Amino acid sequence: MNFDPVPFPLLQSFLLWLLVVGSATCIVLVVSLIATIATVGARGPVVFANELGAMVGDLVSLSPRRIFALAQLTFREAVRRKALMVFVVFAILFMFAGWFLSSSNLAPEFQVKVYVSFVLRAISWLILPVVLLLACWGIPEDIRLRSMHTVVTKPARRLELVIGRMLGYSFVGLTVLAVMGVVGWGWINRQLPESAKSQLICRQPIRGELTFLDREGNPTKEGINVGDIWMFHSFIEGATKARAIWTFEGVGPHVLDNEGNLLLENRFQAFRSHKGDMRRSIYFQYTFVNPETNARVPYQLKTVDEGRGRTDRINRTLLNIGESSKTDGKKYDIIDDMVSKDGRLTVEVACVDPGQYLGMARPDLFVRTADLPFYYGYFKAVACIGLMVLLVIFMGVSVSTFVKGPVATFLTFCVVIVSYGARDFMGRIVGDPIALQKAAQYSGLQEMKKLEGGGVLESIYRILWHMNPTTELPAGPSTTIMQFIDTGLVNFLWLVYRILPNFDYFSESLLYVANGFDVRFDSCVLACIMVTLAYFGPCVLLGYFALRVRELEAK
Amino acid sequence: MSTTGQPREAVIEIRNLTKIYRDFWGRKKVRAVNALSLDVYKGEVFGLLGPNGSGKTTTLKMLLGLLFPTEGEIKILGQSASDVRKNERIGYLPEESYLYRFLTGEETLDFYGRLFNMTNAERKQRTEELLKLVKVDHARKRQLKEYSKGMTRRIGLAQALINHPDLVLLDEPTSGLDPLGSRDMKDLILDLKAQGKTIVMCSHLLADVQDVCDRIAILYGGELKVLGRVDELLKSQNQTQVLSDQLSPAAQAEVEAVLKKHGAKYQVDHPTANLEELFLRTVQESKDRPGRRLIADDPAVKA
Amino acid sequence: MNNLTSQQRKFVYLGAILLLLIPIIWLGMPADGTPNSGGMISRLRQELDLGESDLGDLDPSGAAMNLALLGLRGVAANILWMQADEQKNHKDWGELRVTTDSIIRLQPHYVKVWEYNGWNLAYNVSAEWDAVPDRYFWVKEGGKFLQRGVERNRRSPDLKWHVGRIYGPKIGLSDEARFFRRFFYQDPDPQYDKGPDPEFNNSSEDNYLVAKRWFQEANDAESKARQTIMDRSIFRSYPARSQLDYAAALYKFGFKEEYDREVGDRKLTDEEAKALEIRVREKLKEQTRQAWVLGLDDWTKRYGQELFSVEYLPGIIVQMRLEMAEDELRSLGKTPEGIAQLRRAVDQYQKMNNYRYWRTRALCESEPETAEAHWALFAASEEYRKQSPAARTFAEQSMALFEKTLEKYPELKDEDNFVEEALTAVLVWNLYLRLEGEKPPEMFPLKSLWDEKQAIVPEIERRFERDSRTNY
Repeated sequence: MNFDPVPFPLLQSFLLWLLVVGSATCIVLVVSLIATIATVGARGPVVFANELGAMVGDLVSLSPRRIFALAQLTFREAVRRKALMVFVVFAILFMFAGWFLSSSNLAPEFQVKVYVSFVLRAISWLILPVVLLLACWGIPEDIRLRSMHTVVTKPARRLELVIGRMLGYSFVGLTVLAVMGVVGWGWINRQLPESAKSQLICRQPIRGELTFLDREGNPTKEGINVGDIWMFHSFIEGATKARAIWTFEGVGPHVLDNEGNLLLENRFQAFRSHKGDMRRSIYFQYTFVNPETNARVPYQLKTVDEGRGRTDRINRTLLNIGESSKTDGKKYDIIDDMVSKDGRLTVEVACVDPGQYLGMARPDLFVRTADLPFYYGYFKAVACIGLMVLLVIFMGVSVSTFVKGPVATFLTFCVVIVSYGARDFMGRIVGDPIALQKAAQYSGLQEMKKLEGGGVLESIYRILWHMNPTTELPAGPSTTIMQFIDTGLVNFLWLVYRILPNFDYFSESLLYVANGFDVRFDSCVLACIMVTLAYFGPCVLLGYFALRVRELEAK
Repeated sequence: MSTTGQPREAVIEIRNLTKIYRDFWGRKKVRAVNALSLDVYKGEVFGLLGPNGSGKTTTLKMLLGLLFPTEGEIKILGQSASDVRKNERIGYLPEESYLYRFLTGEETLDFYGRLFNMTNAERKQRTEELLKLVKVDHARKRQLKEYSKGMTRRIGLAQALINHPDLVLLDEPTSGLDPLGSRDMKDLILDLKAQGKTIVMCSHLLADVQDVCDRIAILYGGELKVLGRVDELLKSQNQTQVLSDQLSPAAQAEVEAVLKKHGAKYQVDHPTANLEELFLRTVQESKDRPGRRLIADDPAVKA
Repeated sequence: MNNLTSQQRKFVYLGAILLLLIPIIWLGMPADGTPNSGGMISRLRQELDLGESDLGDLDPSGAAMNLALLGLRGVAANILWMQADEQKNHKDWGELRVTTDSIIRLQPHYVKVWEYNGWNLAYNVSAEWDAVPDRYFWVKEGGKFLQRGVERNRRSPDLKWHVGRIYGPKIGLSDEARFFRRFFYQDPDPQYDKGPDPEFNNSSEDNYLVAKRWFQEANDAESKARQTIMDRSIFRSYPARSQLDYAAALYKFGFKEEYDREVGDRKLTDEEAKALEIRVREKLKEQTRQAWVLGLDDWTKRYGQELFSVEYLPGIIVQMRLEMAEDELRSLGKTPEGIAQLRRAVDQYQKMNNYRYWRTRALCESEPETAEAHWALFAASEEYRKQSPAARTFAEQSMALFEKTLEKYPELKDEDNFVEEALTAVLVWNLYLRLEGEKPPEMFPLKSLWDEKQAIVPEIERRFERDSRTNY
């Protein structure tokens, strides 16, 4: 697994959301008030208050029947205007996809990864343009053809119009997605080489917290870097006191398999500083430790299965083989004796071969509980794509209430692309702690600093004058002005960064399934739901506001 | 028919209504409606007349809240034009039927019915009635894009009536209809009036207006030029019209002889569309003497 | 048509689409590497020996991708390349493999792309794995990948050379050579049922001989198109070098491989094993010598006779062969000054290509005595490991033979490889005597060499012991 799933910080995110949405609302209100005063003069505040009151009135007098009527209309429109032609593209893609994915030599789990991520990516990248176009063109076309006149001269609130559109496109998007999801699932099951089918599962891991001991046995946060460019994994040296120590929570008899074994699965990496015995892989050893009583039971040696991972079935009854070959011959029960009362179990991992190294990151060792069938995780991932589809629809509809179709499409497309590709980078420029932490974790560093070299103007200046980021800029008014403008730009960037949705969670959902794991609720599904929900309200309000202050007749 | 003297209930009150279109930079471009004031009373058929670009459609759209007035006030059914709740009692037939062309006739009515929060049963019943009323029953399952222009007009009217509106706003109701359809439309308007509904219509077709309207307003260049009862506006004090059916040439000669005996100037021909004359005269005079209001019978306007 | 309803028309269109798909599939399906697979175009391409460059971009999958990218294939290839790099850093090998395939679909005639990615798979990715079978898998992937590149770029000598390098040095000279060579004919993947992976090795030849064929093809292509890898005089030595490498590998790995192949799954009695050992040694003795004879031939008569025009000094281009007869040298050099210069050029290029070393070695190894001596030494080492008295006999036999060779070719005294082997023979003999508690006699064959090279004996001993230890 190439990423470290951490639970979604619900409260923190919610507070941030409140802050951003709250300040954005305030800004909009103040700007509108000023605009109203500027246009109608002294009566401005009264007009503004009336308008605000009417908006609140609209909010509380929503009619589900009207909303559903509009949603149904939207759905019919999409269907009768041949939006479902996307299925043809989809079908063609899948008919020929086999041509591109014929690397049947690969190991089964790689094939699963390739096929599953292909299908899920194809689905998301096919459905996104469709909903993007639908959502961004619906209202502008409705206005252009003036069919909206007939609707808004009925008691339909403009708020209902926005919600109805969103709902309708959501139906369309989710229907298309559901069909694609099922077809994709069938396709995976049919196309995947027979040998790889056993790998179509959803592991349910219990992941622990990882700490290290260095070669002298002192606690440390990370191991050694053996020269990997990507420092996500750190290494422990063999035949020293270096250990990787995982502590798992929530361990109990329920995690054992049918035969009463504890399943430990690992994806350790091996690094050799000398050739050693090439006939076998590097040895490692588990030692089970009860975090309360400190009872220690070492387990027999195992070899690393690098690049593949291995599942060790550990019999519930452990025979103490003893450390440094002193066996007391006693037997331990892995649940009764090794797990603390609050369900914690510590597993120490040591590399046995002298001069060789064992590499790992937090997700690389986990307790594997009963597997779920593949479709379970697969459809969860599809559901996460669905949430992404909804998010794009919300944004598209919202944007299309104040600009024309092509502009709306372009704008929404840019938001999606930038959020998808450049959001992390922006986070590093504005120095967002979460983005920096993520970048640090990604490269395996303890921490990451904000990008240096100043803002846009300063960077250009430094590039043109061949100045490195640490050189002091010459003091003077031009520097002050330059930095002032840069600060403004960076602050604007901060706002944009905050407003752009975080698409990571949606793309991560796919990685879980592709890697053979269940899509975790707390770190992925919940996050997707929250991100989508977070944008629903503001998008609806923005759309409503824009549509309300807009003269539909004016061109 | 309301008579003068009785306090009449105003359904629409327009006061000092002005609409200025601005360009992208906020510069004034067109003054589409200028200081318009008029009332429309309950139960009457009111015609808004004017050449193209005179501001009648702009006025109508401001009434509906599709455009926001630059200045002035509108009260419609006692509510502000921007208040969506007024729409509960309004029926609107747009200039060209701005309907969803991918819906069938039946679906169209059902859809608009739902916008009025009507229940399923109500919608069904109302849809049936209206489809029969506007005579597109046979095409109810066809999508509107397959409809002829006349059929689209009819279904447009049907959707305007779906909520039993008290006030019906018709933008060019007879355009695109054949003579028969036009007749039907006019009958229907009179029917609605008989039901006590208020009707405001814009039209170019003066004959239609003359046939059905109680009062008219003629706009030119965004200003009100003429406002009054159709019969009064067309009545000329020192002219007498004799209308007759099946008058033989002999009888005609006799009548002429009588007129000659009294020394009156006379002219014998067939009746003409008098509104047309009025309209053309108004337009001509507005061009000659811009800014002058010609005729008004409305106390609100006179005041 | 006009009488059809809209629905009927749609069905007609659908039918037409399906109808059109049939020829597309029939024509355009890409081959999966096995002969006669794929659509008409791929088959014709194979039959008529037309690389894609002759037919234009006709690989339908690649062309389809280009079409879908609206001509932005350069951009797309760049993005994919960045992705591939990230996947490599993240050790995401499966995805990397697929990304690589996509890159070459976009740029099927960009030889460097094939080269780089093939090398990446066979060398870098392979080295990232801990288990030797896994490493071998990725070597194969790199080889297969490059061969697909060759199919699309038949005229490129570079790609063929790179394929040869994987079959030759990558398999034969890695640390894992012992395993790789064995996997070459006995794939570790159970699906091949202890046979070779037919996609990678479809003959029963040694990996070096396969490499030789590829290098030869590279040379053939090189006579029509320029290679861009190295100096031409080195580039063209590879077929002959492979033959020599083959012969050397037979010494190094041949016995164990041949023995195990003969034994298979059988269980042998001691006598049977002994008999088999002798038989295998005898067989290899001849086979190896033949390989050296052929190698000498390839080296001196083919490679050595090639005419190169080389820029000996800046601006001075001379025509030369590595193996140059005196009169030819004179006729090509013309003036005495020119002759001297040519002589220096030949000398320099011989040094650069290690030409004389291989010539001498091949010549010496072609001698029956040397072959005999080698295998006697080999047997002596084996017997010494078993601490069998036969070690002494074999060692003495070997020493005598080496001495005989040395008398015949005194220049071998300065040839490291020969010296090491000869001294190893003496060493084994000495070690055995030590084991028996005997003192070596005053006189023994190779004594002068032994005495002269005492300085390097400890190093040779260390090497011998390490080899004995790791000779599994």
